[in-house]
Amino acid sequence: MSEGYVVRNLGVRVGDRTIVEDISFSLAPGQIVALAGASGAGKSMSAMTPFGLSAGVASGSAMLDGIELVGMPERDLSRIRAEKVGFVFQQPLTALTPHRTVGQHLQEAAMQAGGVKPDKAAMVAMLESVGLSRPEERLAQYPHLLSGGERQRVLIAAALAHGPRYLVADEPVSALDAALRGEIMALLVRLCRERGMAMLLVSHDLAGIEHHADRLLLLEAGKVAEAGPARQIATVPTTDYGRRLMAATPRLSEPLHQLPDTGETLLEAEAIHVHFPKPGWRRGRIDAVVDASLSVAEGETLALVGGSGSGKSTLGRAIAGLGPTAAGAVRWQGTVIPPRNRRNAEHRRLIQPVFQDPLASLDPRWSVADIILEPVKWLVPHEYRAERAADLLEEVGLPRDFAGRKPASLSGGQAQRVAIARALAANPAMLLLDEATSALDPLVADGVVALFDRLQRARGLSLLFITHDLALARRTAHRIAVMEAGRIVECASREELFANPQAEATRRLIAASG
Amino acid sequence: MRPALVIVALIVLAALLVPPLLPFDHVAIDWDSVRVGMFTDGHLLGTDDLGRDRLARLLVGTRVTLSVALAAALVALVIGVAWGAIAGWVGGRTDELMMRIVDGLYALPFMFVVILLMVVFGRSILLVFLGIGFVEWLTMARVVRGQVIALKQRPFILAAEAAGSPARATLLRHILPNVAGVAVAYLMLTVPHVVMIESFLSFLGLGVQEPLTSLGILVNEGAEEMDMNPAALLLPGGVLVLVIACLTIAGERFRDRLADAAR
Repeated sequence: MSEGYVVRNLGVRVGDRTIVEDISFSLAPGQIVALAGASGAGKSMSAMTPFGLSAGVASGSAMLDGIELVGMPERDLSRIRAEKVGFVFQQPLTALTPHRTVGQHLQEAAMQAGGVKPDKAAMVAMLESVGLSRPEERLAQYPHLLSGGERQRVLIAAALAHGPRYLVADEPVSALDAALRGEIMALLVRLCRERGMAMLLVSHDLAGIEHHADRLLLLEAGKVAEAGPARQIATVPTTDYGRRLMAATPRLSEPLHQLPDTGETLLEAEAIHVHFPKPGWRRGRIDAVVDASLSVAEGETLALVGGSGSGKSTLGRAIAGLGPTAAGAVRWQGTVIPPRNRRNAEHRRLIQPVFQDPLASLDPRWSVADIILEPVKWLVPHEYRAERAADLLEEVGLPRDFAGRKPASLSGGQAQRVAIARALAANPAMLLLDEATSALDPLVADGVVALFDRLQRARGLSLLFITHDLALARRTAHRIAVMEAGRIVECASREELFANPQAEATRRLIAASG
Repeated sequence: MRPALVIVALIVLAALLVPPLLPFDHVAIDWDSVRVGMFTDGHLLGTDDLGRDRLARLLVGTRVTLSVALAAALVALVIGVAWGAIAGWVGGRTDELMMRIVDGLYALPFMFVVILLMVVFGRSILLVFLGIGFVEWLTMARVVRGQVIALKQRPFILAAEAAGSPARATLLRHILPNVAGVAVAYLMLTVPHVVMIESFLSFLGLGVQEPLTSLGILVNEGAEEMDMNPAALLLPGGVLVLVIACLTIAGERFRDRLADAAR
């Protein structure tokens, strides 16, 4: 019996559509192979379909330890899965059953292949091996008491509970905070090395996997664009697609590009505080932003960087007048502009937002032209012209005839460009970019980042760039402000921040992004 | 959805267009042929105890039942959408208060309230219809409120605020059009429910008043002579079942289609 997982000419169809064609790779015991590529490239489908865990139908051949998986009936497949393979999925929030404790999850996972019921000591050992603190306590806890990173650790422990020889990890860290991604990825790699387990890793984040995987397959539209040792593809990609994908992935090690010159200070936020009442009937409040001050100059990009829940979006919204402000002042060229409800059209015109989820930020019932002209109608009515929508579409790199379309017919990148056109419609001086590229594919996101650069140079725009991605901030921003637990812990120029990080949070972020 | 809607459309057309073409109306008494069987003396479905044409009464009864149902459902739609949209949009204490009022009204025994109204004000079709509208808007308000709250958190509402759109304009131009689909789907499910309630009230003798008739009254009358003349029960009962089933199927399909489109 030959060991390992060997895929030859794998194809996947869903209905009449061919999703994946002619993919071949092999996974030797103890090896880590990564499938990477843009979304829709067929990475997850290629990884999951042979194991019967997708809606697709596989063709070709996938041999696991000499057993053919393609065409195997579901009953036998489920036995193979239970005996030999562990799975880690993307969504740690939904992959655990809410009413069952961590211990019950581990028991179920350990017993799936007819294993014996693990005793408490065995389960504690499982949790310890995935680096979870206070494992005895955790066993009795329910999933909602755990953070995202802790849940993903529990899921990894459950995936390994029955001692599989193979691990299939489908975007295991994409739903996690930037700071946690490196940790969890390192944990997966360490577990593989310790146990001689082979891992098939699916990820769109090239920077995150290039140091961990042994081999890398770049998929493009269901076909292998490039395959080889991970380190080699990451440093010297040979295909055009590989080069574009690598260039689109920001890294801390890349050389700094020249950014546009900046002018005088436009916006100053002083000692901003924001708090929310606790949800439900509970007393007390949550301090989302504490004593945050920042300034942005004309033509400057200031990046607000931090983990999720650090208050960066809340601070951005308070400044743009789109969220509550409890205390503090926002000044524009020295004049105070009032908080949310008392802002007039002129105040609102100055700062326009672009949000993370491009499709959710467009009203599905409106046409693209109506969406783009909405700010014109309310904020600069004297400039209302029908062709203005088409002009703005052209400015953001979309065809003029998109004006008549509905959001449902747009791709994510196109929808985000429409949202940017809407933000530009009122001739703002500053854009609030709230994770504006993080829901997009690497290539599409790179195009949008380039668009921001072009707009900044052409219009002299200031950008408040909220992101969790430190490498992206380093690529795009003049200065970087690091937030943690509602406070700005450090704010420095990008050169200084990396040369001489002051705050502990900054050092942790740099380490996690490296 | 298609066949169900076709059946409903045929029934509605028959109820509206056929009665004027019949040689008898639903109150006229044919003294020469009282309680005759089908296809006798030009009475296609025969006549009842008082010599009234059964076909005319069936069609008019269908018409009354359907129009009461449609009117009550529209009342429910208007009140429910307005109430739910305001509660969901304003939120906070206002929302709490408005929804507790809805909960309170839910807790009232509906039949008891209707009977009380009948006793105090006498029987009238207007009361039936007010009484039904009175309960049906509650669920509509809950459905709409939930939708509005979900929509309110979508970024395009925040973008509208950034675009300087006043709250009223945002509510009218962003929120309500996006709630419309769900509200219409729920309206389509409310109509059969109201048909049922109206027929039930009429069956108990609390609904519309003679000589006007409705499906519920016809079922009641038919039940009294079902041993002699089963068709008198089966025909109005069959129409009732057909209308309720078809509208429910069409409404559920429409709702599912909306849910798919939203995904």
